[in-house]
Amino acid sequence: MAEPATTRPKWIGQSMKRVEDPRFLRGKGRYIDDIRLPNMAVAAILRSPHAHARIVRIDTSAAERLPGVYAVVTGQDVRARMAPLPTFAVGPIYQDLLAVEKVRHVGEAVAAVVAENRYIAEDACELIEVEYEPLPPVVDPFAAMEPGAPLVHEALGSNVAYQRTFTFGDFDRDFNEADHIVRAKLRWPRSSGMPMETNGAIGDYDEGTGILTIYANSMNFTYFQWLIATSLKIPASKLRVVPINAGGSFGSKFFMHKVPTLAGFLSMVAGRPVKFVEDRIDHILNNDHCGSDRYYDVALAVDRDGTMRALQIKVVDDYGAYLQFGTGTHGNALAQVVGPYRIPSVQYELTAVLTNKNQQGAYRGFGSEVNNWVLERMVDFAARELGLDPVAIRRKNFIRPEQFPYRTPTGNIYDSGNYEGVLDKALALAEYDRWVAERERARQEGRYLGIGIVTAQERSVFSSTEFWFWFDQPGFPVTSSPESATVTIDPTGKFIVTLHSLAFWGNSPETVATQVVAEQFDIDPADVVVTYAASQRALPGTGPGGSRFTVMVTGALVGASGRLKEKIKKIAAHRLEVSPEDLEFHQGSVRVKGSPERALTLSEIALSAYMFKLDLPEDVESGLEASYTFDHPYTTLPSPDRKDLGVFYPFMGHACHIAVVEVDPETGQFTWHKYAAVADAGTVVNPMTLDGHLTGGTAQGLGTALYEEYVYDDRGQMLTASFMDYLVPTAMEVPRIDIDHQETPSPYTPYGIKGAGEGGRMMAPGVITAALEDALAPLGVRITELPITPAKLVRWIAEAKARGQAPTA
Amino acid sequence: MKPPVFDYRAPVSVEETQQALAEYQADGKLLAGGQSLVPMLNMRLARPAVLIDINRVTELAFVRADDGGLTIGALTRQQALLEHPTVQERWPLLAEATRHIGHRTIRNRGTVGGSLAHADPAAELPAVMLALDAVVTVSSTRGERQIPARDFVVDYLTTALEPTELLRSVWVPALPPRTGWAFQEVSRRHGDFALVAVAALVTLDAAGVCTDARLVLTGVGPTPVPVDLRQTLIGAAPSPAAVAAAAEAAQAAVDPPSDVHAPAEYRRHLARVLARRALTTAIERAGGTE
Ligand SMILES: Cc1cc2nc3c(=O)[nH]c(=O)nc-3n(C[C@H](O)[C@H](O)[C@H](O)COP(=O)(O)OP(=O)(O)OC[C@H]3O[C@@H](n4cnc5c(N)ncnc54)[C@H](O)[C@@H]3O)c2cc1C
Repeated sequence: MAEPATTRPKWIGQSMKRVEDPRFLRGKGRYIDDIRLPNMAVAAILRSPHAHARIVRIDTSAAERLPGVYAVVTGQDVRARMAPLPTFAVGPIYQDLLAVEKVRHVGEAVAAVVAENRYIAEDACELIEVEYEPLPPVVDPFAAMEPGAPLVHEALGSNVAYQRTFTFGDFDRDFNEADHIVRAKLRWPRSSGMPMETNGAIGDYDEGTGILTIYANSMNFTYFQWLIATSLKIPASKLRVVPINAGGSFGSKFFMHKVPTLAGFLSMVAGRPVKFVEDRIDHILNNDHCGSDRYYDVALAVDRDGTMRALQIKVVDDYGAYLQFGTGTHGNALAQVVGPYRIPSVQYELTAVLTNKNQQGAYRGFGSEVNNWVLERMVDFAARELGLDPVAIRRKNFIRPEQFPYRTPTGNIYDSGNYEGVLDKALALAEYDRWVAERERARQEGRYLGIGIVTAQERSVFSSTEFWFWFDQPGFPVTSSPESATVTIDPTGKFIVTLHSLAFWGNSPETVATQVVAEQFDIDPADVVVTYAASQRALPGTGPGGSRFTVMVTGALVGASGRLKEKIKKIAAHRLEVSPEDLEFHQGSVRVKGSPERALTLSEIALSAYMFKLDLPEDVESGLEASYTFDHPYTTLPSPDRKDLGVFYPFMGHACHIAVVEVDPETGQFTWHKYAAVADAGTVVNPMTLDGHLTGGTAQGLGTALYEEYVYDDRGQMLTASFMDYLVPTAMEVPRIDIDHQETPSPYTPYGIKGAGEGGRMMAPGVITAALEDALAPLGVRITELPITPAKLVRWIAEAKARGQAPTA
Repeated sequence: MKPPVFDYRAPVSVEETQQALAEYQADGKLLAGGQSLVPMLNMRLARPAVLIDINRVTELAFVRADDGGLTIGALTRQQALLEHPTVQERWPLLAEATRHIGHRTIRNRGTVGGSLAHADPAAELPAVMLALDAVVTVSSTRGERQIPARDFVVDYLTTALEPTELLRSVWVPALPPRTGWAFQEVSRRHGDFALVAVAALVTLDAAGVCTDARLVLTGVGPTPVPVDLRQTLIGAAPSPAAVAAAAEAAQAAVDPPSDVHAPAEYRRHLARVLARRALTTAIERAGGTE
C-alpha cells in the first residue's frame, strides 16, 4: 500500500464540521421508516409471554380472516422453508427466526403477521391463539448449573454452554509469591445499547429474477450477508442488502440479522415488499444485543509496595437463551485483561451459562468495558487494603513507554502508549490536588465528597480470532477482518468515495472519509461525496465494530488513493512530459516539483481520463477509479495449546477519567462537581467528533453504572420492557465533561491512528463507582455491583454503619 | 404499540362533552393532554370504544384568582399553571410541585384536569391539591357537584368521578398569612415520576405557635397519604424534636410498594427524610425558627 504523506497533515487532525450534519440536522436524513415502496405491507410480531414453554398448538385462522391481513407465519413455516439463524456457538444451540416447538424467553418471536398497516397487524396478532404448556423457567445462572435444572436446550444436555480455564504466564508462582491477595465478588448486570431508532428492514423479493433486496439499518452486510442468505436458503448472489442510515447502534446493529432476515422471509411469503420496524417493546424484549451479564470472583495478587503480581478471574456469564457470538465478549476482555499494568500472569476461568432470557450480543465495549470496571475496582481495593494512594499504585504498575510494543500475558500486543503522560494531563485537567484539599474540608464539615479515578485500556480494531480461540477444534476459525474503499474521480474532477460494509450509524463515517481523501489528494473537502455500496457490489468488509472504522477505512482509503494517484501521475507525466516521480499533488492539481507553473488540474486530468483516450499513455485504461481492501494490519494465530492467544486487538488506546461527586447520604442522591477525561487514541483524525464519541460513550457508561438494567423476575418475566422502567440517562443526568487528548501514534496503522469509538463507556462505569465509593469511604462502603441506585446506596450506608457498630471479634 | 380501533368525537363545548359522555357511558373516554391516556391506548391497556377529545373545549382552559382563592380550569396545561404569575406568587407550592411533572414538553400538553382524573399513585397534583384543601368541580348532563380533594382519589388510578362526569375545574383556597410551604421529591431521573414526594404547609401565629400544618405524601401507596400532625406539630412552637416526631409519623403512615426503581424500605426511609426536610423548610418560610 502507499505510504501516507510524511509532511504535516493538513486535514487529518482538524475539527472539521461533520459533513453528515446538514442533512440529518434538518430532518432530511432518511431512515428506514421513511422508506415506502409501492405495494408495501407492514409486519408485526406476536411474542411469547412465557419464559419457557412448549408450543402445543397455534391457530392463526381468525387472524388470517381479518380484513387487511395478507399473511400469517409461524415457526412451522420457518422450519419448512428456512435454515436456523447463524451462530458462533459450538454445540447444538440452534435459533430459529420464529420459535419452533418451544419458546425460550419472554418476548421470543412466535408468529408474524403481514398486513396493510401496523394497526391491523397488531389487531391480527391478538387474534392468534397459541396454546402453551409452561415449563419451569431457569432464570438464575447458578440454579441453571445445578443438576436436574430444566434445560434451555435439551439437545445440549446441560445449561453450561462453555467452561474452561486459561492460564497465561507462570501464574502459580506469581500468585503464591505475592505478599497479599485482594479478593472481591463483583456483579455486572445486563443492560443494552438503546439507540433512538430500533432495528428495521424492508424485504423486497423480485419473483421475476429471484433476487431478494433487503433495505436495513444493519451495520454489517458484506461480512455476514451470506449467512442471511443461508438462513433463507437462497444463493448469496441473489441477496442484495442495501444499507440505510441507522439512527444509532452502539454495537446493537453490528450483527443485526434477525430483522432483515424476517423482512426478507415475509416478503418471499407475502409476494410483496414487507417492512418490519421494531417498536420499543419488540426491541427491548428481543434485540440481538444485550450486554454482558456477569458474576465475578476475582483475586489480585500484590506485594506490600503495591506491585501487581498476578490476576485471577473466575467469571460466570449469563448469556440468556442463545449464544450468537459464542463467548467472543470474553475474548475481547482477554485483549486487555491486565489493563495498563505490568501484571505478568493471569488465570481466566469462564463459565458461560444458558438461561431463559434474551440473548447477548454486541454492546459498546463488547465485554472489555466489564473487565475494565472489574480491574479498576480491584486496583482501588488493593490501594485501600495496602494503605496506598490510588494514583500512586497505578503509576507504579504502569507499563513504561520504553516497553512498547508490549506483549501481554495472553499474547495480545499493545502497540504503543504513554500512560503517565495521560495521567498527568488528567490530573491537571481535573484540578485533582484542589479537589483532594476540598475533600478534606468537606469531610471535616460532615459532607461526603468523593474523587474517583480510572486509568484503563481501550483496545481497537478487532480481529476475528477472538470468536474462536476458545476452542481447540473451532467450527469456523476465520482470520480475515478486512475493510474496503473505492475512490472515484468523475469526469469533472469531483470525488466520489464508496464505503463497503460501513453504513452510517450516527457517527461520522463520511467526515472521516472526506478528511482522509482531502489529505491524500490535497483537495477541498467540499469536492468529496461519500456513498455506501449495496452488498452485491460491495468489496470485502467487516463492519463498524470494536472501534475499527477509522483505522480500517483510513487504511483502505490510503490504499485506494495511492493506486489512483499513481494513475493520475502517469497521465500527467505523459502530458507534461516529465517522469511521474517529479510530480506532486497541490491544491486540486498535479504540478511539477520545483516548477509550480507546470501543472494540470485534476479536472483536466479527469476529463482526459474519461474522454480523450488518445491523450493517455497507451497502457492506461479509461476512467479514474481505484479500490483497495485493507486487511487487519496485525493479526497472528493463537498457539495450539492456547497459552498464547496471538495478536488480535493490538491498537491499544488508553484513557484516564476523573470524577468528583458529592453524596447526600440520607437520600442516596448525588451531585456532580467535576468530570474530566483524557484519552490517547493515537493520532486524532477529528478532535471534535472524537469528543462527541467520548461524551456519548461516557453518558452510556453512566447509564450502565447508575440507571439501566434488564430486570427479570424469578419467573423470567421482563420487568423493564419500556422506557418507563428501563431508564436511559438524559442530558439532565450527564455532567459537563472536560476533555483533552494525548497522541501516541500507533506504529502499525496509517497515520498512527487508533480507534476510539468505545472509550467513554469503557471508563465511565469505573470512575463513577470509584467516586461514589470514595465519597462514602468514611462510612466504610465498598461497592461491588451495578447499577448503583440511590436505594442501594442508602442500604449500603446502613449496612456499613451496622458493621461499624458491631463489636469486632 | 398501536391502539385498537376506536371512534373519535371532538366536542367544542362543555355541554356537547357532557352529552357525548351521557351517550357513550362507560364506552367513552375523555382525551385531554393525552400524556397518560395515549401510552395506555398504544399499549392496549385502555380500550375505549370512543375517544372524546376535549382539546377544543377552550372554555375549560383558564386560571382565575380572587381574594378567596384560585380556580383552575381542567384543560389548563400544566406548564401554563406553573408559569402563571399569580400562582407563583400566592400558591408557590402548586407551582413548585407542577415543575416536577415530567419535562416541559409533557407539561405543555398535560392538563391539570387530566392529572387529577388519571390519579397516578405517584402524581404530584392530587397530593398537592389534598394539602391545599382544594375542591374539585365535576359535571354531567344531570348537573354539577363539588368533591373535596380528600374524597376525590379513592384508589389506585380511581377517582370519585362517574364515567359520565367531566372534571370542570379545581378550586384552591387562599392561604392564611404566615404560611410556609415546601415540596420535596426524589425520583430516579429528572422528570421521572416520584419515588416519594412530600408537600408541606405550616401556618404559625404571631407568637410563632403552629396553628395548622399539613403534610401529604405521594408515591407511597395507591393514593396520596395525608399525615395527621395534631399530635406532633400543631399547637406549639415547632421544635426539631416535634419535626422529627412528625417525620416519624409520616413514615408510620405509609405502606409503600416495591418495584424495579426502589424497594418499599427505601421509600419508607425517604418518607421520613423528605417529611423532615419539607417541614423544616416550611417552618422557616412561615417565619418560624424551628
Ligand atoms: C414521560 C412522562 C413523564 C411524566 N411524568 C409525570 C410526573 O412526574 N408526574 C405526573 O404527575 N405526571 C407525569 N406524567 C403524566 C402527565 O402529567 C399527564 O399529563 C397526566 O397524568 C394526565 O394529563 P393529560 O392531560 O395528559 O390527560 P390524558 O392522558 O389525556 O388523560 C388521562 C386520564 O384522565 C381522563 N381525563 C382527562 N381530562 C379529564 C377531565 N377533564 N375530566 C374527566 N376525566 C379526564 C382521561 O379520560 C384519562 O383517563 C408524565 C407523562 C409522561 C409521558
